[in-house]
Amino acid sequence: MLSDSDSVARDVKAEQTGLLANLFGKVLDFSENGLFLVDSDRKVILWNEWMVQASSLGREEVMGAAFVEVFPDLKGKRIESVINAALDAHTASLLSRSLNKAIFPLYFSELGGENQRIEQSVTVKPIQSDGHDYCLVQITDVTPMVQREGVLRVLAKEAEAALEVAEEASRFKSEFTSTVSHELRTPLTSIRGSLGLIASGVMGELKPEIGRLISIACNNTERLLFLINDILDISKIESGKIGFVMGPVDLLAVLLQSIEANQAYGEQYEVRYVLNDVVGGITVYADTDRLMQVLNNLLSNAAKFSPKGVEVEINVIRKNKMVRVEVRDYGSGIPEQFKSRIFEKFSQADGSDTRKVGGTGLGLSISKAIVEQMGGVIGFNVPEGQGTIFYIDICLFKEK
Amino acid sequence: MLEISELQRDYITEILNISMGSAASVLSEMVSEEVALSIPEIDFLPRSVAAGKFDQTNMSKMSGVTQGISGAIYGDALLMFPEEKTLSIVRILLGEAVPVESLTEMEQEAMCEIGNIILNSVVSSIADILKKEIVSSLPRFIQGTGNEVFSVESSNHDDLVMFLKVDFGLESQSINGYVTLILNMDSLQDFITQLDEQINAIG
Repeated sequence: MLSDSDSVARDVKAEQTGLLANLFGKVLDFSENGLFLVDSDRKVILWNEWMVQASSLGREEVMGAAFVEVFPDLKGKRIESVINAALDAHTASLLSRSLNKAIFPLYFSELGGENQRIEQSVTVKPIQSDGHDYCLVQITDVTPMVQREGVLRVLAKEAEAALEVAEEASRFKSEFTSTVSHELRTPLTSIRGSLGLIASGVMGELKPEIGRLISIACNNTERLLFLINDILDISKIESGKIGFVMGPVDLLAVLLQSIEANQAYGEQYEVRYVLNDVVGGITVYADTDRLMQVLNNLLSNAAKFSPKGVEVEINVIRKNKMVRVEVRDYGSGIPEQFKSRIFEKFSQADGSDTRKVGGTGLGLSISKAIVEQMGGVIGFNVPEGQGTIFYIDICLFKEK
Repeated sequence: MLEISELQRDYITEILNISMGSAASVLSEMVSEEVALSIPEIDFLPRSVAAGKFDQTNMSKMSGVTQGISGAIYGDALLMFPEEKTLSIVRILLGEAVPVESLTEMEQEAMCEIGNIILNSVVSSIADILKKEIVSSLPRFIQGTGNEVFSVESSNHDDLVMFLKVDFGLESQSINGYVTLILNMDSLQDFITQLDEQINAIG
């Protein structure tokens, strides 16, 4: 026998359950996703507002109907089998928009306009409650994502095409430069040879005024040849036509060799090279000849731009996985407006200097190309006091 | 360490390969392209050893799909490939190449679905062997090193990992990846017991 109070309590509980069910239904209607629930008999038992709008199927048509009656076209399709798997084997599944074009027949209801199909990503999840199995199907509108990636795809393809054009142009430029330089070098070599013979006097004594002219011609031919060799060098490095023989290199040995090679050059400018804090046993990962070329360039530059009688200092500093070689001169420093262009081709601070100190204006840009090919960095600092510090950072050699 | 006999190994491999076959046919149908899937090798390894195995095989950067499993056994199921292989699998299957170096959001979602199909097959076979229910959760895209993927730092090192090598055959390429199930010890013992019962039943 049930007492009155029992039945009242039961009624209150039933009322609360009903209220809650109503509330949950409203919450689901606010969802930005499509939601529907299928029970173990494959019947639809929940259909939220999003589904009503997108499918144009009202709850009264759908509730209690079998899934394949609601979507007859989906019979035997993957979505049906994953719903079955969720109910029978409790597996959760994802149907991506990329691998399943337009899974459900769902549309945006545009006023006046043509109905557009909603791009969908669908998840199917098993739910167990009070000993019953259900399957929750959740549909996310990924239309904005599809549009975004469409734009991305177009942009990426354009960027790729632009890069190809740029690479082609750059390849053409390098090849052109290297061919022209090569063609210029051959006749120049024979001009220099002939002029040299005349200047040496073996072809007969020269009048002093002719001798002076021949000497000017000789010097300028020489300069032109240097220039062309440098251009050839840089275009080969830039186009990657020069193979670098990378390996362990004893830094100190290369430095000493480079200083020795530049000793005579330094003496022309009355400049002496000083290697500070000599530390042996530093092995770097580099191409010996190319590293030497960079060091020679830095050392000869330093001498060129130093006042007479002062020293050029060389420092070696270990930093983590790199080692820095600094070359400091006590010259007049780099003019402010020139700092940003110093590693560019054919750049020297000013015309008068060029004439005074010689050089092609390619040395630093060749050095930069070489150092970068070897995985290093080249740069300069303006120290306290006078002068400039040029430095290169190169990788230490690490044993396997 | 858990030792399994040759017979047990053969039995698991056989069952898993049957379900791989059906996963492959689902995938083939979806992309109208011949897809082959097989599991040539299986192993049981501690979590840290499994992580190390990725890193050793030059696969330090991995990406793939993970989903949680619970019920008769609980843990995580993962399908992992070297990062660039994931990229080629998705792009071959989708049949369009976006010239960017990492997977887009939608490509990641597609990869999740591919992983989901494969992992669900593996998990269902194991549920069949156990004759018990295993509930799987939704797939998630993950990437990282072996250690990160297996969260070696933060979790119990003694956990055993069921380590399955997977061959993904696509357009005459064979792409190697791994399916791993990270399971706690009790689940595994139970699994082995069930396995023995079934092998004995076959005689």
